[in-house]
Amino acid sequence: MTLSSLSLRNAKRQTGDYLVYFVSIVIVAALIYAFNGLVFSQELQSLSSRFRDLSSIIISASIVVIFIMSWLVSYTINFMLTQRSREFGTYLLIGVENKQIARMFFMENLAVGGCALALGLLLGNLLFQMLRAIVFALFGTPYHFSFFFPLKAVGLTLFYFVLIYLLAQMKSRKRIRRMKIYDLIYYEKKNEEEALKASPVRRWIFTISIALGIIGTVLIMAGSLSLGFIGAGCIIAFLYGFFLSFASGVPAFFHKHPTLKYKRQNLLVFRTLASKLSTMGIIMATISMLLVATIISEGMGMIFRGIFAGRATLNGCFDILLSAHDTNEEVFTASLDYIEKNIPIKANMRYQVYLAETSKTMEYIESRTSYYRHYQYDTVMRESDYIALRAMLGYPPVTLTDGQYLIHCQPYIEKVLKDWNQNVILGGKTLTLGGLYTETFAQHLYDVNGNGFILVVPDQVAEDCPVSHTTQVFLTQEKVTEDCYNALFVLENEIMERIGWHNNTLVYIKAAEDADAAAWTAMTVFPLYYLALVLTITAATILTIQQLSETGRYRRQFLLLQKLGMEQKEMQRSLRTQFAIYYAMPAVPPVLIGVPVILNTARIVEPGTLIGASRPAAVTGISLGLFFLVYAIYILMAYTSLKKNVLPT
Amino acid sequence: MLQVKNIEKYYGNQNNVTKALDRVSFDVCDGEFIAIMGASGSGKTTLLNCISTIDTVSAGDILLEGENIADLPADRLARFRREKLGFVFQDFNLLDTLTIEENIGLALSLNHQDPGKVQNQVKAVASKLGITDILEKFPYQVSGGQKQRAACARAMVAGQSLLLADEPTGALDSRASKNLLEIMTGMNRDMGATILMVTHDAYSASYAGRVLFLKDGRIFNELLKGQRNRSVFYHEILDVLALLGGDVSDVI
Repeated sequence: MTLSSLSLRNAKRQTGDYLVYFVSIVIVAALIYAFNGLVFSQELQSLSSRFRDLSSIIISASIVVIFIMSWLVSYTINFMLTQRSREFGTYLLIGVENKQIARMFFMENLAVGGCALALGLLLGNLLFQMLRAIVFALFGTPYHFSFFFPLKAVGLTLFYFVLIYLLAQMKSRKRIRRMKIYDLIYYEKKNEEEALKASPVRRWIFTISIALGIIGTVLIMAGSLSLGFIGAGCIIAFLYGFFLSFASGVPAFFHKHPTLKYKRQNLLVFRTLASKLSTMGIIMATISMLLVATIISEGMGMIFRGIFAGRATLNGCFDILLSAHDTNEEVFTASLDYIEKNIPIKANMRYQVYLAETSKTMEYIESRTSYYRHYQYDTVMRESDYIALRAMLGYPPVTLTDGQYLIHCQPYIEKVLKDWNQNVILGGKTLTLGGLYTETFAQHLYDVNGNGFILVVPDQVAEDCPVSHTTQVFLTQEKVTEDCYNALFVLENEIMERIGWHNNTLVYIKAAEDADAAAWTAMTVFPLYYLALVLTITAATILTIQQLSETGRYRRQFLLLQKLGMEQKEMQRSLRTQFAIYYAMPAVPPVLIGVPVILNTARIVEPGTLIGASRPAAVTGISLGLFFLVYAIYILMAYTSLKKNVLPT
Repeated sequence: MLQVKNIEKYYGNQNNVTKALDRVSFDVCDGEFIAIMGASGSGKTTLLNCISTIDTVSAGDILLEGENIADLPADRLARFRREKLGFVFQDFNLLDTLTIEENIGLALSLNHQDPGKVQNQVKAVASKLGITDILEKFPYQVSGGQKQRAACARAMVAGQSLLLADEPTGALDSRASKNLLEIMTGMNRDMGATILMVTHDAYSASYAGRVLFLKDGRIFNELLKGQRNRSVFYHEILDVLALLGGDVSDVI
């Protein structure tokens, strides 16, 4: 048998023994390929000119992925080297040279990587189609299947894989070249090196780290940015301290509480965990950090999506909006001229927005929510304009009785104003509140229908107030094309450059905002989720490989316990508990850090923007849900495999 | 205490049946120390596995304290094992993640013993077997003899009525073997433990009060120690082994 055929045989065995790792590599290869597909897809790039930055963003994300993956591959390869030390020792014993073994091992990993890449490319095509469908849905274009197998994407994926394996192999190659027969053959008899040796020191670290963990969580929950940073630092110190000292903390705890030790399955569960963690403290803490990054990436992705989608929804009731303090401004007149000449209009209306004498309503809102003040006084609109605008938008008609005023606001302000019943005094006339309306009304743009809310008052009352700005709104016969709105923006820029940027005119086009929302969603959410997925897969794979490598030892343990009279149900419960704690330990700190970070970030966003599925609570829930979904798949795979192979029948 | 009645055990499929035990019958009385001897493949371990309920018999009955173990459902069998049987194996079978104290206490913990009392019970048994000073250590930190004594402690700490030992001296040097056998004799004599030991070592068997010889799955002979001293009994055992066939050096 030649060494290369031995390599192939070992590669086959490796895929079987480390199936979870192999599957993970396949999935990551598929992800890399699918995203590379986006980079090279002319069809998707042509959907919007705003997509031009997507390629560089995806490539940047891929570079991070390469580093994470080379860490995973390097970790797994080194883990295999340790697990198979006896086998390598035997090769050396029968006269194979270190150099040859290194080559053989390299070939073996190359074969595994090659197979994973090939399968990944196939799966990647499906994933690419999914991404295509998502992009099409974002742009409101109907999806149709079209087979696309860009050789450039294949080439780039191959290049990334070569990089991953080259980076990963560096450490193992050096290790193989230096290994000695004795160390390898008697490796199993050696006790594994522990990262921290002195037991009393460890106990101190254990106690201090727990305290830091509690302090860190409290600080993060406090909500302020600076305290949050200190809190995050405390949690990182807690992670490393806790995982490095857990193995000695358990015996110390049991020593103090012998009664708890012998309660139910405590002894077996915690001793098994402690023995596992005594050698993988640093890796557990690192995994925990990866999971923090995962949850935050997912949360940020959702928040970005929410901001764009929210803006597009809240302002999207009119197709075009023009607004200016002075309608004689050149941008206003030129834009209006362009619109009238080039875009078929279904309906349009020009009206004025006025300023009240006080800012009482605004102050009330400010005192109850983090409202962004833009006007000096409350904004006011004429009743007849309001009724006409409602009719234009197809909203149910409203009436205003004499001596009353209405408020039209965003839904979040409606909640703030639920107890508001103050009168408004304008031009000496006192008006009482006649109702609150919350339909979409372009109130998320500062210079249109008020910022978040507007007061609707009888015409003659409004007309006595000073004018804030004039607005002209349009409904078009069909969606404004990209060419049209690009031309409008070019026109606007040309004028502004000429007149020296003194411009107070707002030009808003719904189609452009939608395209922006779609492009930005794709450009921020895609890479963040791409990273999050790879991070979760990496963390879960390492945890699972570690757990499955203990199959033989667990089998012997449960066989003995069966002889000693442990019931099947108890064995299952003990395995389940140990499993739950093992996988929960690195996942709890990320939840403690991730959730407050997401909630605090969502709070920075202008209130009322994150609506529907993008509400802060929903964002947090979905981020955690997605993370636990991927994580749970790995836990389930590991548990099913262990249960089948470990528990005696 | 233990009645083995006409048990038979077959392995294999329709085309290839191996008879591991062939109509084996014997009784073990309360407080007896009995050894089962035989060459490799004679059915010793199969017999022990059947008695310890790890394996089932193809025919016949095994009664422990009047209870037929073949009639017990799986969960009752587990309870039966942890309450009534204690095990000592050739390779110790201690869990390497637990200390010696915890390995012994595990048997009590499995029996749902009050967690507050476990430590004291373990200490009491450990002092009888002379392993008090190694209770805090892990199995890899103590000698083979100490490990086997810890296994003995685990086998009796929960008040198990029958101690089943499978080649307990197999992995020990001669001094540790002698020490262990004396401890087992002491457990039998002073604490009234009933011991059933499987061995192919005549020296170990000479510590028992009665020796059963198995050959090809059948009981071939039985020797009673009676009032003879251990050295005479040892030679008698060797004589029977010579009759059983095979080289004496194979079985010592």
